[in-house]
Parts: sequence; structure tokens; C-alpha cells
Amino acid sequence: MRYVGQPIDRLDGVAKTTGAARFSAEYPYPNLAYAALVHATIARGRITRIDTGTARKTPGVLAVITHGNAPEMKPAPKPNQFDMSTLAAATSVNYLNTDEVYWNGQPVAVVVAETLDVAREAAYLIEVEYAEYPAAVDFAAEEGNARPQKSTMLSEADGRKGDAEAALADAPFALDLRYTTAQVNHNAIEPHSTTAYWDGDHLILHEGSQNVAWVRDHLAIRFDLPKQNVRVISPFVGGAFGGKSFVWPGTVLTALAAKVTGRPVRMMLTREGVFRTVGGRTPSIQRVAIGAQLDGSMTALIHTSVCQVGRTGGWSEQVTSVSRHLYDAANIQVQQNLVGMDLLANTIMRAPGESIGSFALEATVDELAYELGLDPIELRARNEPARNPLDGKAFSHRLLMECFEEGAKEFGWAGRPQEPGSMRDGRWLIGMGVAAAYHPAWRFPANLTVRLSDDGTVLIRCGLHEMGMGSATAVSQIAADALCVPMAAVTVAYGDTALPDTTTAGASSQTASVTASLLAACAKLDRAVFTLARKTPGSPLRGLRRADVTARDGGLYNGSRGESYHDILRRAGRASVEARVGADTRLGEIADQVRSMSKFLLDRRRWVKAACGAQFCEVLVDSDTGETRISRWLGVFDVGRVVNAKTAASQLRGGIVMGIGLALTEETLVDPRNGRIVNASLSEYHVPVHADIPVIDVRYLDDPDPTMPLGVVGIGEVGVTGVAGAVANAVFHATGKRIRDLPITLDKLL
Amino acid sequence: MDFLRPTTWADALAAKAERPEATPIQGGTDVMVEINLDKGRPAALLDLNPVAELRDWSSEDGWLRIGAGVSYTRLIDELGDRLPGLAQASRTVGSPQIRNRGTVAGNLGAASPAGDSHPPLLASDALVEAESVRGSRLIPIGEFYLGVKRNALEPDELIRAVRVPYADGPQYFSKIGTRNAMVIAVCSFAVALHPSRRGVGTGIGSAAPTPRRAPEAEEFLAGELDWDGRTAVPDETARRFGELVARAASPIDDVRGTRDYRVHALAVMARRTLGWAWTEYRGI
Ligand SMILES: Cc1cc2nc3c(=O)[nH]c(=O)nc-3n(C[C@H](O)[C@H](O)[C@H](O)COP(=O)(O)OP(=O)(O)OC[C@H]3O[C@@H](n4cnc5c(N)ncnc54)[C@H](O)[C@@H]3O)c2cc1C
Repeated sequence: MRYVGQPIDRLDGVAKTTGAARFSAEYPYPNLAYAALVHATIARGRITRIDTGTARKTPGVLAVITHGNAPEMKPAPKPNQFDMSTLAAATSVNYLNTDEVYWNGQPVAVVVAETLDVAREAAYLIEVEYAEYPAAVDFAAEEGNARPQKSTMLSEADGRKGDAEAALADAPFALDLRYTTAQVNHNAIEPHSTTAYWDGDHLILHEGSQNVAWVRDHLAIRFDLPKQNVRVISPFVGGAFGGKSFVWPGTVLTALAAKVTGRPVRMMLTREGVFRTVGGRTPSIQRVAIGAQLDGSMTALIHTSVCQVGRTGGWSEQVTSVSRHLYDAANIQVQQNLVGMDLLANTIMRAPGESIGSFALEATVDELAYELGLDPIELRARNEPARNPLDGKAFSHRLLMECFEEGAKEFGWAGRPQEPGSMRDGRWLIGMGVAAAYHPAWRFPANLTVRLSDDGTVLIRCGLHEMGMGSATAVSQIAADALCVPMAAVTVAYGDTALPDTTTAGASSQTASVTASLLAACAKLDRAVFTLARKTPGSPLRGLRRADVTARDGGLYNGSRGESYHDILRRAGRASVEARVGADTRLGEIADQVRSMSKFLLDRRRWVKAACGAQFCEVLVDSDTGETRISRWLGVFDVGRVVNAKTAASQLRGGIVMGIGLALTEETLVDPRNGRIVNASLSEYHVPVHADIPVIDVRYLDDPDPTMPLGVVGIGEVGVTGVAGAVANAVFHATGKRIRDLPITLDKLL
Repeated sequence: MDFLRPTTWADALAAKAERPEATPIQGGTDVMVEINLDKGRPAALLDLNPVAELRDWSSEDGWLRIGAGVSYTRLIDELGDRLPGLAQASRTVGSPQIRNRGTVAGNLGAASPAGDSHPPLLASDALVEAESVRGSRLIPIGEFYLGVKRNALEPDELIRAVRVPYADGPQYFSKIGTRNAMVIAVCSFAVALHPSRRGVGTGIGSAAPTPRRAPEAEEFLAGELDWDGRTAVPDETARRFGELVARAASPIDDVRGTRDYRVHALAVMARRTLGWAWTEYRGI
């Protein structure tokens, strides 16, 4: 392979750094109008009066839309696992079609105006009165109301092997610990924005999205249109991390505003608007209990969780999934619980479940190691399973201990004294911590076409999503290698529902999903071109068998006999040859979905697939003030085959940075009296800044997973897993204090 | 909103006299944030950036006169050696972009209890040079802060400059934040030793409604230090100094930190900065 694995620069790099790349709020339309939201200021209740008089009279205002005058929209469909697009509704609220308020921040009016400033100004002038209902908004207080989470086809909410409680009670050594993690929010650099216009009964939408097909399908339902009447265009997404997977109110209401005014309308949420209308990661309360023999072998592992969901929707996280896979405990019990809250629906955020679940599990494992006087890596080695611990399924591929070994060597792990508080540099206490990273590998159906033209160029058309991770670059590399053409000959068209539906850019699945289809399409194309050549009079390839021919240098050859794709197509009088994966009819689509779902389930019955890794962290903690700084980081990962050495490292590194925020600074503060987020801005919600992040050393083993296309395992989320655990463990090593509540802020260390 | 752009200091003062409600804007790093967040809508902005006089600093009689338009970046580069405490504080402000635009005068105009320049200005007995068409006056820094985001300027007055005496001894600043940059102080502290008059200056940030000194702590320490013999500060003295500094504060719980944390951290910073300052003074 000439391109796969190389550190190739992102193809959109120049467009982005020069500003040529257009994001959804940057599409110029003549006659563009601007929309702004008015947010509810109560958690739960009913609107009794909205005074829009002053707003409507403001010069430049085109429309003020409230539940009193909004056109009717269809309700969001009920989520149904067989039609994944029904998952697209972030909440079940029919915005502006109801006088009910379900969360503090829910849009209760939209102002459309000639300019953004006028729209926002008029939005301030709208006065709303409410009849308030009692509301549950304080997560800590609602713990007792949690109910068991339901399992779905994609994710099981509970599981058991043996009797873990009894084994825990009998264990020679046991720990039974409680952890809490704060709500956090994605804070992508591009706030959610939409530009929408109606061309008759066709709706065109520019929208930063992780799943354009879902946006299309959802809007088609809401506005009662045939699917083909909606087009969603999203070539560039300014970061998403899960926050742009579903359809949030701003998107629906921009389309509504465009319909009401008959003008193209753009809505750019403010940072505050994102906090108020786009969900974040649920807070959690977790219990992890481990029973062990004195040699460290685990006899019991219990991991339970309580998370929140909004009453109008919310993603159910697989917080305990890591405990199904990581340790070979004789008895295991995992169980997830949810409590419904009168808050904005939470949503998926980079490694939903694993990011916070791995914190609790890995901190407990570390504690066990210290209590038993074992090296934390040695303890893990003693509990490394040969098969999936919960159910005995085979691992498709697992080099977790290899990651720990390489990491330990590179990080200088062995040289550290295990005694907490024993390393110091002046006022700084130094600590080293380690944790496992783990994230399941997914693959979904992806449609695409590959076209070879008579000028030798290749066009891949697929509705994949580019949120900055370099997906299109990776796809070009794979296609160039598969067809043996130079990368410069390959173009990828993406981020548009006018292209074949690909798949969600979520669950770290996009590259693997697209790769499978891409390789299939390239093989089809290769056969088609060869057949064409073989049949074309005068072709040097006439009469040869495919096995006699190799693809190289942009053509098909047998030794020196053969010719370029360009010549093959010219000779045959064909402008292009195209191969397609995936149906283009509704029936075919359903058949595809059923086929892929059954393949998926079959696959899941046979294998446990995942990316994993070892996170090594060194912290400095000020002995007097508790200020905690990360001084070194090394992550060694087993992520199957790496397609692009540069973008892969960036993904892993970005995940680690996000994990450091989760561990140390990020916390969405919800007022327990009224459910209002009080720090809805980047000045009060602290993401890590450059000065907080040391050089992050990222390595990977680059060993293909035999059950995944090209050996590719998803890479986008595993980086964030284990990070908070490694930080908490390092903080313990530095200070002797176990902080079991994220984020680890200074006051907790005094 | 009117946008006033005087090009001379005299015109600026005249404009302010005529429109006392106008909001001066220098670096804009506070003003623009407030406008964006719609916290108050000024009837007029008075842009001081074109006023050349404000961009200079000068020195006379052991004092530096820092024009209201001198950015943090320039202060660090050009005056860091003579005003170490203020320069240290300036280095912790925001990010390079903010330091390129922001000014000490703007920090004073905003008068936030968390402003980083306040503690070193307090510790070194700075003067705020305020001027209006009625004339000019020097406001001792200790009398400048009146309440949360309120200062002693009259409606028609502008800050012409900040006057700070050359450091006559070691000066240190310490700030605690939740991250390494772009962070509002959880709390901060500055100390200045004035060996010539055997005095100690202090300044506390982010731990009371206004930046303030810790007079009891200053007096105590000035009396305890062995100015001539330069012997080490006894632990007990440092501890007591820390206690008195902490006692001078009246912090609250907020999203950045708890009251108890601030009290604790102030005592730590007081001891710590004293340690650095005394070590420097002893020349070791
Ligand atoms: C991202 C970011 C990070 C920040 N980080 C910090 C930090 O770490 N530490 C910190 O202390 N501050 C910080 N700030 C706040 C701000 O940068 C400082 O307060 C800065 O000193 C303001 O200076 P300026 O020249 O930009 O003031 P401006 O915004 O121009 O003005 C601030 C106030 O002073 C008044 N004013 C300005 N000039 C005069 C004058 N000549 N006479 C009378 N009144 C005047 C204005 O009317 C206004 O009320 C930050 C701000 C941002 C946006």
C-alpha cells in the first residue's frame, strides 16, 4: 500500500486555513434573513402570556413566531431501533407547537429579522409569563428515583455472570466505592448554525451535522415532505463530538422561520444558545465494587450507574460497558439506571458511557492495586482475560497488555516509587497514574459510488461527514491504494444528501463503515473495467484472465502488456465506469438495513471488537494550594490498522485533551432551584487551554483487526477513555488523596 | 449608540465633559465583552485609541507615569525591570491577544475585584492620575476602589495615567486559577518590600468586594522583619503574616472556588510571596 498508513496532510487543510472552506453559517444568499431564539426561563410549566408587541414593532423585524402563530408541524417520530433515523429527534417536543415548557432554555419564540443584531435585540424584548409546575432538576437529589435502564439491540444495560454480591461478601479483600461525575458539554468551536431556504416545496439546509441523512429524514417528517424534497448540505463541520448527531431545536426552527417568512434564514446559536438548546454529557453516580484474592485475581466485579435523561428524550449511556470487557473477574454484575429529569435532553458526547465509566472502574482498579501492594499494571496483567469476561465470546483482536508494556517502557513507569506522595520537585508533588482505554468498534451500512473517468480520475460520492478528523483524506488514501492510482487523481464528494447515504459520523464507526463499502465498490469497479478492456477490440488486455493482470500506476497490466485506465476507457468509447454499493430505492434500502442489522447481530454474537489502549499520565500538584497540572502524557493504543498516521494521532490526542478537561476543569453547573445552566459561556465553563496541555506522546501498535475492513477499528473516541482515571490515579500517587468526584478541582485537594 | 473618536487628550476630556455618560474604550477587552453579553448599553462609546498622548510612558523622580493606552505587552517588555510586581501580574492576564490590547487603565476602569493589576498597584502605593476639563488629581490607589466594579472616578473624569514608584525592593505576585491561561483569578496576592522606609505593601485580589490591602499584616511584618541583619524570617512570623492576610479578606463561595479555599490559599500565597521576596532581599 502506497498511501494507507502514511502521515498525509488533510486535503481540506488549505481550504480551512485560508478561510475558503464554507461552514453552514457562511453561505451567502441574496435576501438572507436572520433568526434568534427566545429561551424559556423556567424548568417546567405552561406559557400563559407572550408579549411580542415591542419586538414586532422593532424596525427590521420580519416575523415573531410563537406557539400562538406557528404553522403546524408533525411531531417527532417515536424512536424505533429498526429505523435508525427515528433516533434523530433530540427531544420529543414539537417546538412552538405547544405552550408547554419542558426545560429551562427551551425555545419559546423565534424572531426573524433583516439583520442578526435586530433579531437578537427583538428577542430580548419579548416578555413571557408562565404557570410553573413542580420540576425535578437537581440530579443529586433525584438519585432515589432512578429506574433500571432498558437494553437495546445496540447496547445492553445490564449483565451478570455468577453471583457477584455473594462473591464480594466472601472475598478476602474488597472495595466498594462510590463515584460522581459532573455534566459536561461539547463546546465545539463552531456553535450550531443552520441556513435554510425553501424552493417551493423543497427545503434546502446548510447545517453542521454528523448525520445529514438523519437531518433530512427528520425534517421531512416534521414538515410533511417526501424525503427527496429535503436536501442537507454539510461539507464542513466545525467540530461536533456527538453534539451534532441529532436534530436540535435550532435546526427545525430555522426551517420553520424560512417557511414563515419565505426568505432564506440563517440562525447561528450563541455559545449560550448552544448550552440552552443542545444537550451535553449526563452527570453520573457510579458504584464500583471489586472483590479479590490477595494475589489480585478478581473474584467479583460490580459496576452500577445512575445517569439522567430529559423527560423529552436523552441518550442512555453505556456507562458500565467497560466492566463487561476489561477484567477477568469470576463473578460480574453490571447494571445501568436512569432518572428522568425536567432538563434538556442529554446526548451522546465522545465515548458516551466509556469516558466516565472507565474513570470509576480504572480508579477502583488502581486503588485495589495500592491496597494489595501490587503494581497497577501487574494487577491488570493478572486479570487480563483470554475471552470476553462476561460471556466468553472471543475477542476479535486485543493487544491491551502490549499497550501497557510498551507504555511502561517509554514512560519510565518502573522507575517510580509506588509510595504516594514520595516524588516531589519543590512545592510540586509529582504523581504518575495509568489507566486502560477501551471503546467498542462499530460498523454500519454505508452507501457510495466510485466512478472512474476517461481522464484517469476517480470520483467517490458518499455522504460522509468531515468534522475536522480527516475522513475524506483517509477515504482518498484507501481508494488510491485500492485502485492503484495516485491520490491526486481521487476526489471525494461528501457531506450532502444529494450523495448516497453513508452513515453516521458517530460511535467511531465512520471510517470502518465507509472502508467496507469502498473496498467492495473498488473491487466491483476493477472487475467492470477489466471486463470492458477484455472485450474491447484492439485492447492489449484482450483474452487475458483477471488473475493474469495486476492493477498498477493507474492502469491494468500484465508485465509490460496492458494500458492505463484512460486508454482502456477511451478505447471502449466510455466516458466513465461506475460502481455502486447500496440500494437507491426505498425497498432496497430497507432490505439493506435488515441485512446489515442481521450481519451486525451475528457479528456481535461471535466477536467482541474494540479499540483499546493504555493511558500514562504524570501530574504536578501544588502541595499547598491543590493546583493540578498535567506535566507528561503518553497514550499507547491498539486501534487496528491506522489509515493516516497524522490524523489518527490527532484524533487520539484530541480525545486525551478532552479527557483532561473532563478530569480537571469542565463542569456544567445547573441551578438546583430552577434547572438553569449558570455557566453557559466559555469564560465560566473551563475547557483546557494550550498552556494546560503538555506535549502528548501518542503511539499505536498498527496491527490490523482481522474481522474489520482493512483491519480498521474506530479511532475517534478511544482517546478520551481512561483519561480521567489516569489523572485521578496520578493525583493519588502525588498526594495520597483519592478524589472520586469529577472534575478534580483545587478545593477538593485540600 | 454614538461613537466618539477624539484625537487629542484635550478633545477627549471635552467629549467626556459634554457626554459624561459615554463609556471610554481603550483595549476594549472588557467593554466589548460587556456589550456582547448585553450587560448595559452605553449611549456612547468614547474611543481613546486615537489619543497619542496616552500611548506613552515616562519616568521622573523615581516614578513611572504609564499612559492609559500602554498595553500589558508593552508594560512587560519595556517596564518589567522597574515594576516587577506589576509585570508579573500582567503576564498572567488572559492570553497574548488580550495582553496586546488590554491595559492597566482599563483594569482600573473596570475595577473588578478579580483584576490582576490591582494587587501589585496596592502593594506599591500607586496613584491614579484622573483628569477632567476641571483639572487633574492624583487618587491614592487605596481610595480608588469603592465597590464591586465601582471606582472613584467622577462622571466627567478619565484616567490619564497610572503612576507607580520604581520598585525599591523585591515585589512578587501570585495568582491561583483553575487553569494555566485565560483564567479569572480564584484569588491573588501581591507583596512589595520597601526597605528604604522599612515598610511592607500588600494587595489582595478576588477575595473581597474590592481589591484591598491587608494593613494589619503589613504593619506586623514590617515590625518583625530583620531589615538590617537580613536573617531568615521565622516560620512563626510567616505563618502569622499569612493568617493576617487571610483575615483581611472577606471572600465568598462562587463557581470558581469556595470561601474556605480562598482563605486558605491567601495565607499560602502570602507566605510564599514573602519567602520569595525575602530570599531576594537577602541576596541569596
Ligand atoms: C478573554 C479575556 C481574558 C481576560 N483575562 C483577564 C485576566 O486574566 N486578568 C484580568 O485582570 N483581566 C482579564 N480580562 C479583562 C480585561 O482584559 C482587563 O480588565 C483589561 O485590563 C481591560 O483593559 P482594556 O484596555 O481592554 O479596557 P477596556 O475594555 O477598554 O475598558 C475597561 C473599563 O475601563 C474603562 N476605561 C478604559 N480606559 C479608560 C480611561 N482612560 N479612563 C477611564 N475609564 C477607562 C472603560 O470604560 C471600561 O469600563 C480578560 C478579558 C478577556 C476578554
